[in-house]
Amino acid sequence: MSVPEGSRARDRHGQLALAGVMVLQSVAVVFFMADAAADLLTEPLGSHSIVETLVTLALVAGVLLTGWQLRQTLERIRAQERTIETARGDLSRVIADQFAAWKLTPAERDVGLLALKGLDPAEIAEIRGAVPSTVRAQLTRIYSKAGVTGRAQFAAWFVEDLLDNGVADR
Amino acid sequence: MSTDQITGADMAPVRPRPWDPVVRVTHWTIAAAVIVNGLLIEPGGTVHVWIGWIALGTLALRLVWGVIGPREARFTAFLPDPRAAMSHLFDLVRGRPREYPSHNPAGALMAYTLWACLAVVVATGLIMTDGKSPVTIAEENAAVAAGDWSVLVDEEETGEGREGGGDVAEEVHEVAANLMLFLALLHVAGVALESRALGRNLVRGMVAGGRR
Repeated sequence: MSVPEGSRARDRHGQLALAGVMVLQSVAVVFFMADAAADLLTEPLGSHSIVETLVTLALVAGVLLTGWQLRQTLERIRAQERTIETARGDLSRVIADQFAAWKLTPAERDVGLLALKGLDPAEIAEIRGAVPSTVRAQLTRIYSKAGVTGRAQFAAWFVEDLLDNGVADR
Repeated sequence: MSTDQITGADMAPVRPRPWDPVVRVTHWTIAAAVIVNGLLIEPGGTVHVWIGWIALGTLALRLVWGVIGPREARFTAFLPDPRAAMSHLFDLVRGRPREYPSHNPAGALMAYTLWACLAVVVATGLIMTDGKSPVTIAEENAAVAAGDWSVLVDEEETGEGREGGGDVAEEVHEVAANLMLFLALLHVAGVALESRALGRNLVRGMVAGGRR
């Protein structure tokens, strides 16, 4: 998780910088608009006021374009987050359904989930406040209910599922 | 390592996303402008006018963002609805407010009111300064300080007709500014109440961009 977390933080700083620039540009737009308006009033068709009006228009276009781009970026990030969340949610649902199909007891479901997350029996025992031998016995029962030979096959059972539905479709 | 691990992934609650960067930057810029101009510095100086212009630009950006921004920032996500606002306030008093993807209805009304106040303050401020930019004002002040009084003569000529209007503008400027400060206080109180009722710090969504 640490790598995407870092790049996401960088993205966020980039977006914040963009937003800050947009505020500066907007303030500049207001100044230029006021200046251009004043010049247009005193000297409607002077080259000075025409140039100033053009500069103002360019600034406005710049703000709008930056804003549009920022919005595209934000929406893309949101879409990605949604996909990740859906995938994550679906996987937990798949796991829960499968655990139910294997008729695991609530305690076994907890242990099974922790095992899937990569914790070893000692760690699982610590979290659950049990002794490692109990956890090992629970794991053995889980593997036999699932019809797998051990931990690697148990985890592979779900990964295989994910690979079939996920990558193959792309 | 906590027991959260057991249910952490599949029980993830629906967390409203934080505000987008433009909303956050404009919010705090305007907040700072209001506090500095309303409470900290003497009114009428060049700095006061500078900050007013910055607030104007920032407000303009926020209003444009309300049209072109992402969904939660758009006006269509929080149209003013006084009746919904009232029922939300009742829910809040009962301690069971609903979650909204954008501003809650009461917060939305507050946002519109604050923007209206700010617009009035800025507009009257511009009337009081004849729409001169802070740069011009600084230049004029420098000229007067250097002994060139022609600027003042010019001012008197144009200023004759609008003496009364200027007074009204000043009055409105002050009343609207004080109203805005009062509403800002109310806004902070509302955020505090709502944060307590929802059990999470709403300010975090306006400060940090991350999802935690």
